Amino acid sequence: MQNGRSGALAFAPAPLLEVKNLSVDYLAANGTVHALTDVSISLARGQILGLAGESGSGKTTLGYAITRLLRPPAVITGGTLLYYPATGEPVDILQLTPPQLRAFRWNTLAIVFQSAMNALNPVLTLGTQIEDVLRYHRPEMNREQRRARVVELLKLVGIAPDRIRSYPHELSGGMRQRSIIAMALALSPEIVIMDEPTTALDVVVQREILTELIRLREQLSFSIIFITHDLSLLLELADTIAIMYAGRVVETATCRQLQSQPRHPYSYGMLHSFPSLHGPRQRMTGIPGSPPDLRSAPSGCAFHLRCPFAISACSEVLPTLQHPTESMLDQLVACHMYNPALTGPDLPTNADFAQGYEAAYATRKRR
Amino acid sequence: MNIEYSEANSSPAIAQHVQPPVLEAKHLRKYFPLRQVMLLGEKRVVHAVENASLTLSAGRALALVGESGSGKSTIARLLARLYEPTSGVIAFKGEPVKSGKSALRAYRRHVQMVFQDPFASLNPIHSVRYLLSRPLRLHKLARTKKEETEQILALLDRVSLSPAEQFIQKYPHQLSGGQRQRVAIAHALAARPEVLLADEPVSMLDVSIRLDILNLLLQLKDEEQLALLFITHDIASARYFAEDTMVMYAGQTVEGGPSDEVIQRPSHPYTKLLISAAPDPDTMTGEDRRAVTLPARGEIPSLIRPPGGCRFHPRCPHAMPVCRERFPGRSDLGGGHWTHCFLYGEGNLAAADAATKDNASKITVTTRDDQQEL
Repeated sequence: MQNGRSGALAFAPAPLLEVKNLSVDYLAANGTVHALTDVSISLARGQILGLAGESGSGKTTLGYAITRLLRPPAVITGGTLLYYPATGEPVDILQLTPPQLRAFRWNTLAIVFQSAMNALNPVLTLGTQIEDVLRYHRPEMNREQRRARVVELLKLVGIAPDRIRSYPHELSGGMRQRSIIAMALALSPEIVIMDEPTTALDVVVQREILTELIRLREQLSFSIIFITHDLSLLLELADTIAIMYAGRVVETATCRQLQSQPRHPYSYGMLHSFPSLHGPRQRMTGIPGSPPDLRSAPSGCAFHLRCPFAISACSEVLPTLQHPTESMLDQLVACHMYNPALTGPDLPTNADFAQGYEAAYATRKRR
Repeated sequence: MNIEYSEANSSPAIAQHVQPPVLEAKHLRKYFPLRQVMLLGEKRVVHAVENASLTLSAGRALALVGESGSGKSTIARLLARLYEPTSGVIAFKGEPVKSGKSALRAYRRHVQMVFQDPFASLNPIHSVRYLLSRPLRLHKLARTKKEETEQILALLDRVSLSPAEQFIQKYPHQLSGGQRQRVAIAHALAARPEVLLADEPVSMLDVSIRLDILNLLLQLKDEEQLALLFITHDIASARYFAEDTMVMYAGQTVEGGPSDEVIQRPSHPYTKLLISAAPDPDTMTGEDRRAVTLPARGEIPSLIRPPGGCRFHPRCPHAMPVCRERFPGRSDLGGGHWTHCFLYGEGNLAAADAATKDNASKITVTTRDDQQEL
C-alpha cells in the first residue's frame, strides 16, 4: 500500500475515518504538554478499533480531537482528520465550519463519554434528554414521532419504556450507561466513539453492556472506536488495536496478531499485566517504572527508560511506525528492534520478551 | 516461572491446624442505621454485612471478592475496628479485641490498612518524612530523631522507593500514583504490623504499575510473614495474589476456599456468574467472538430491605422455594472449599446431585483449554 508509512494498514478494508499525523498540545502555564504527537490511525467501515493505553497516554484526547470537542488550552497543532462518506468526496473534519460541524456531529459521529454519572443532566428526565437531541437535529419530527423514537431507542438498549419519565438518580449505573448509549445512537450515526464506557461499572454489568453493544452493532452496523485502559477487554471485542504510549501510537495490529505476537516491548508488557483465570499460576513481572511526564518526555523513544531491551539508539533516535518486516503488512510498530541495521535481521519472539522482562524484574528485586 | 508453593500452601486445611490464625472473625454483622425520622414502624437499617466469618494466618493472603455494595470494604473496616461491629467476635491471636482507646491503639499497631486511593489517603500538606514519622512516634518505635530517620529510610527502601534520601523530603503531589501507594504501604508497615488489610490497593493505579504493587505486597507477605486481606473486584487478580478466596454477595459470604478451587471449580451460582462475566481474552477473539450469555440478570438488591433467605435468589437461575425462606448453611465440598447454597446440600444429597446435573446443562462457560462443565 502506497501510504503504509502513514499508518494505514494493508489488511484493512475501505477506511471510514482516517487520522493522519495528528498532534495536540495543551498550553499549560508551566510548559507545553504534548498530549498527542504525530498520531495516525484508521478506522475501517463496520469495524471496532480499540485504543489502549494508560492514563495520560492521550487516548481520550484523541477521541475528543476527532469529535473536535477539544477546548483551550488544547490546540490541534497539525494533522488531518478525514471522513469517507459512503458516496462522495472525503470530508476533512478539521476544516468544517460550525454549521457543518453541527450537522456532522451526532448524525455521523457520536461519542459516549467516560462517566455516565456526569454525562446526564440530573434535573431533566431521561425522555426529555433523549428527545432534546431529536428536537435539535430532526426539527421535522413532531412530538409523537419523537416520543415514539425515544421509546424505540430505550427498548433497543434494554431499558423498559416506562423509564422515560425517570430522572438519572433513579437509574442504576448500568442503566445510565445504557441510556447514554441510546442517546448516542439516536440519529443512527456511522461512527461511535466510546471513551471508557464501562470503566466505572461492575464486571457483571460491564459484561451485559458489552454483550448489548455487540448485538447493537450487528443490528445497526456502525463502527466503533473503543477507548479503554483494559487491554484484556479489547482482545475480546476489537478487530484492530492501536496501543498508545506517551501521546504516540507505538503499535497497531489486528487483535489476533497482537495476542499471538505483540511486536512492541510495551505491548508485550501490557498484555502480560493482566493475571489470567486459567492455566498455571505464573509469577508476572509487570513493566518497571512509571509513565513519563509529557511536559518533559524523554528523548528518542519515550518508553526507553522502562524498556528492558533499550539500546543506545533508543534514547537518541525516535522510532517511526513501520512494518516489522517487508512482508508483515498487517502490523505496524515503532521500535528499533525491527531495524535490521541496528539489531540484526532476527525478530524478537515472545520468549525473548519474557526473558528480558524476567531479567529486569530480577535486577529490580535484588536492588 | 511458577510461583513456588511452599508445602504448607499445597494443603491449606492442614496449614491452618499447624498455624494458629493471627486474626479471626466470627459471625460478624454490621447494620448501619439510616438517619431518618420515622414516626411509625421500625427503624430502618442497611444490612451491610451478615454473619461473616474469616481467618487470616501469617504468611498467607485471603482475597475478598465481590461487586460494589457487597460489603467487602465494610469487613475490612470492621477488622481494622474503624467500625464497631453490630455483633460478632474479632479475635487477635486468640484474644478477643477489647474496645477502649488504649486497647484499640495497641490492636491497631498490629493490624494496619492500605486504602484504595493513594491520592486521598496521604495528607497533601505533609512531607513523606512527617507522614512516616507519625506511626513511629505514636507507637513509640523510635526514641531519637536519628533513629526515626533511619527507620524511615529503611521503610522507603523496603517499598523500593530509592534513593530513599530523595523521597523522604518529597510531598505527595510530587509523587506518581504508584509511588504514593508505596508510601501508603510504608506507612502501614511503619508500626510493624502482623496483619495488613489492603482495600483495593491497585484499582486506582495505572495498569502497568498494578503488578509492581501487587508483587511488592507479595514479597512483603513472604518476607515478614504478614497475614494479608486483599479486597478486590477482579477475580483474576485474586487468583494471582491470594492462596484463599472468599466471594461475597450483598453482604453475605457465598463461597470460599483455596483460590484455584474456587475459581476453576466454582460452585455457587453467583461465583459462576462473576467468573463468566470477567474479561477473558483466552476465550476467543476476532470474528468468532463469543456471545456470553450471562446466567443471571439483574442487580444487587437494596440492602435496606434485602430479599429474605439467600439474597441472590431473585437473580439465581436455580432458585428453589427454600432459598426465599432461609439462608443455607455451609456445605463442605472437600479440600477446604465451602459454599452456602442449597444446591449443595444441607443433608439432602440426592436433590443436590440432581441439581448439579441440571446446572451442567444450563450454564456452560466455554473456555479455550477445556470445556468446563460447571
